[in-house]
Amino acid sequence: MDYFNPILSPWPWIVAGLALPAIVALYFLKLRRKPVEVPSTYLWSRTIEDLHVNSLWQRLRQSLLLFLQLLVILLVLLAFLRPGVMGTKLLESRVIILLDNSASMSAEDVSPSRLDAAKDRALEIVEKLGPSDVAMVIAYSDEAQVVQEYTDNRSLLRQKIQAIEPTQRPSRLDEALRAASGLANPGRSSADATDVQTAEAKPAELFIVSDGGVAAVPDFAVGNLNPKFLQVGAEEASNVGILAFSAERNVEKPQQFQIYGRLGNFSLEEKSVEASLYLDDLLIDARRATVPPGEEGDVVFDMDLTDGRPPEGTLKLSLAPEGRDDLALDNVAYAALNPARKARVLFVTPGNGPWELALTTDAVAEIADVEIGAPALLETKEHHLAADEGRYDLILYDRVSPVRPPQANTFYIASLPPGEQWNAGELEGPPILVDSDRAHPVMYLIDALTNIAVAEARTIEGPQGARTLLEADIGPVMQVAPRGGFEDVVLGFSFYDQGQGGETLVNTDWPRKLSFPIFVQNLVGYLGGSRGALVANSVRPGESTTVRVDVPADRIEVVNPANEVTPVERRGEASFIYPFTERTGVYGIRLPGKEVQRRFAVNLFDPRESDLTPSELKIGGGEAIAASADWTPARNEWWKWVVLACLGLVIFEWWVYNRRVYL
Amino acid sequence: MSSQPLSDDILPPSLLARLERMELVSRKIFRGRMKGERKSRRKGQSVEFADFRNYVAGDDLRFIDWNLYARLDKMFLKLFLEEEDLHFYALIDDSPSMQFGDPTKFRFAKQLAASLAYVGLCRADRVRVESLSSTVRDRAPVLRGRASRMRLVDQMNKMQPGEPISLEQGVKNFCLRNGGKGILVLISDLMDKQGYETALRYLLAQEMDTYVIQVLAPEEIDPDLHGDLRLIDSEDADAAEITVSRPLLEKYRRTLSAFVDGAKEYCTRRGMTYLMSSSDRSVEDLVAGYLRQRGLVR
Repeated sequence: MDYFNPILSPWPWIVAGLALPAIVALYFLKLRRKPVEVPSTYLWSRTIEDLHVNSLWQRLRQSLLLFLQLLVILLVLLAFLRPGVMGTKLLESRVIILLDNSASMSAEDVSPSRLDAAKDRALEIVEKLGPSDVAMVIAYSDEAQVVQEYTDNRSLLRQKIQAIEPTQRPSRLDEALRAASGLANPGRSSADATDVQTAEAKPAELFIVSDGGVAAVPDFAVGNLNPKFLQVGAEEASNVGILAFSAERNVEKPQQFQIYGRLGNFSLEEKSVEASLYLDDLLIDARRATVPPGEEGDVVFDMDLTDGRPPEGTLKLSLAPEGRDDLALDNVAYAALNPARKARVLFVTPGNGPWELALTTDAVAEIADVEIGAPALLETKEHHLAADEGRYDLILYDRVSPVRPPQANTFYIASLPPGEQWNAGELEGPPILVDSDRAHPVMYLIDALTNIAVAEARTIEGPQGARTLLEADIGPVMQVAPRGGFEDVVLGFSFYDQGQGGETLVNTDWPRKLSFPIFVQNLVGYLGGSRGALVANSVRPGESTTVRVDVPADRIEVVNPANEVTPVERRGEASFIYPFTERTGVYGIRLPGKEVQRRFAVNLFDPRESDLTPSELKIGGGEAIAASADWTPARNEWWKWVVLACLGLVIFEWWVYNRRVYL
Repeated sequence: MSSQPLSDDILPPSLLARLERMELVSRKIFRGRMKGERKSRRKGQSVEFADFRNYVAGDDLRFIDWNLYARLDKMFLKLFLEEEDLHFYALIDDSPSMQFGDPTKFRFAKQLAASLAYVGLCRADRVRVESLSSTVRDRAPVLRGRASRMRLVDQMNKMQPGEPISLEQGVKNFCLRNGGKGILVLISDLMDKQGYETALRYLLAQEMDTYVIQVLAPEEIDPDLHGDLRLIDSEDADAAEITVSRPLLEKYRRTLSAFVDGAKEYCTRRGMTYLMSSSDRSVEDLVAGYLRQRGLVR
């Protein structure tokens, strides 16, 4: 590329070259003055008298004018030469800036933060825009937001870029790419490169300003986009973050509450952290943990429950890493402990004395409201509605089966769930019970099942993933298997049978054993959900979540960690959808104006966001876009500035000319 | 009469009507040569009573106030105002530089001189109007009495711009010719390269009640010049090359202002009355308004 681009025709050169001697010649010619007769030159002589005193300065001023005029001509000549410097420019006249504002961009490994560094890079791009170039700004985390449509208004672009706020969301590049591609490759779905274009393609330079902490987007057709990756963030970022945080009753020891945190070390050296556990901002325990570089570690707290009831409130795990930690956001995790709710249990039976008795003991009544109904209930419309709505937490079917699986946990006695996933063997007997899975909460504290006598039983074969709870010599007779979000437990033998003459036949003596009421209590406790639902699931920032209250209501309110209240309306469904989980922390759910009933926690829990090490970016076809710090080399024209300087000089010369006062 | 239109021009009837009601005032006491219509500051014999004073031996007994003696038993002498005439001189600068302006400074000077002279004529004062270039041979006559109006106008009309003569020389000649005391009005542009100070010093030595009226043309006060010019002096053909610019014009105005202020201060310090006027100003207003305030006429 030639950085001086002389004009080919000699004429301008000749004209310009003649200008210099012409100016000098004009200065040698004496000025012809017009004679004017005045009454007296007395005053005029006195006026210009003191100017004679500094006539040397006058002469200098005169030569200053000459000098200025020569300088102007030289600058004009320089402008003809079309000077330029090796610079950089944007190739296309359309520029899309994708600016990452996900959680990891809040890291402070570059001062003041990665997001600010990214904004600076974006502003650099805006500075390099040509006069007719247009640019668009998209901020993305797990969703893309068009901050500014295509515009050539640079101050607007700068203003919009400066106004981008950090979020606590994880990052997903694909949506942002689709948004960009939709504008760059109109009339074409970006996923399918063979699609026919219906509108003129608009090639665009795509700048992705990010730290690279995003998943690869392999199935993205770049099309007209020319992606460039501008990486922000220091190479040796140091961060320890919480990747998981849960609290639950110790399965083996129900009197203990177990709090478990998973830590990840994303630094290059071993990190020692002090983990403090708070319950409603009250420090209750602290541990020190050491995590090797690039690996994960655990902190486990055990809480003894004095009255057997789990605590309520907000659990907070806070990390205080030793040394530098660049991302503060993942050093705190929350868990919401909701008050135990009474399980709603329905027992459908043609008549079963021991079960009815066992379900109405004080111990069960404390954790569940039990309804008992006849098999005819299953036919009613109200029941269908209630079962489909999820009004019950647990339904026990004694020798009956529903038409379709209810939205609840189920326990089947001598019957099978609808569908073909469960199978039962032939009626055999008497089986000898040989083993029980005591690790499972349902079988907790149940020993000596071997002395239970059973007349006849069927083997049970559940769907894939089923776990055998009770095994007899003929095979499994009780199994548990997941079904969507629920669990089905199927028992292969009945307690009572109907004889041929209508008489009631006893099939087992289990109700007489001590283990029977414990089993019923475990069953209601576990499947009724009063233990499992104790700790609400954690939600990621930006995810919408389903919230529910104990009492039916059409309108609830959600209190976010900043104590702002958002009303949530029911939208036809059984539950309320709350989408505004922007900040990490604990959100309270309440009826309008009432006390907070339930809570849920929002946590980052994203190793990709916590991992601050800058990484490469892969888009379409798997080839990595290297982090490019350099711009496209280009020629930066300077002649405009030279001409501008010329204009300034001419104005200055005019001023000097008008200031001069001499003979 | 051939000079009639010019007479009307220089002293129009409306101006005459106003001038007839005025009289010249001198701040100094001059002894007139003849009895005039002027109330002198000197006490003397007239019908107009002025004051009393104690009788001292030798006083003329005719002036003792006998009525007062009868009442107070003390002798008082009655004093009367003396009426006498006054010498009024007008000296007009007739150098070529006075030929500028519209109307010319020279014409303005003549009209002003004629107006003041007419005031003097009406009060039976001795009036003489001369120009700087006047010589002993063509010296102007002394006029007296209202009837001399036409002679005055005639003299004015005959007066033409003369040879370039320095202000100093002109004033010196005037002083040699006129030894008497009285009121002198010098009407000039004071634009003399040798300076006006020496000239005024001659007048000072003459012990006259001197009024210096500097007449400047509008083009001198606010020059309307453009471009690169070679200015040529109308009297000595001296040349000054200028390039007109705003700063230069401002500087000229500052110089002019300093010149006028300097003349004013010089005159004031030496008991002369200084007045600057543009040549396009109305003589009637100047006499009836400004000179009246300054005490030359009343």
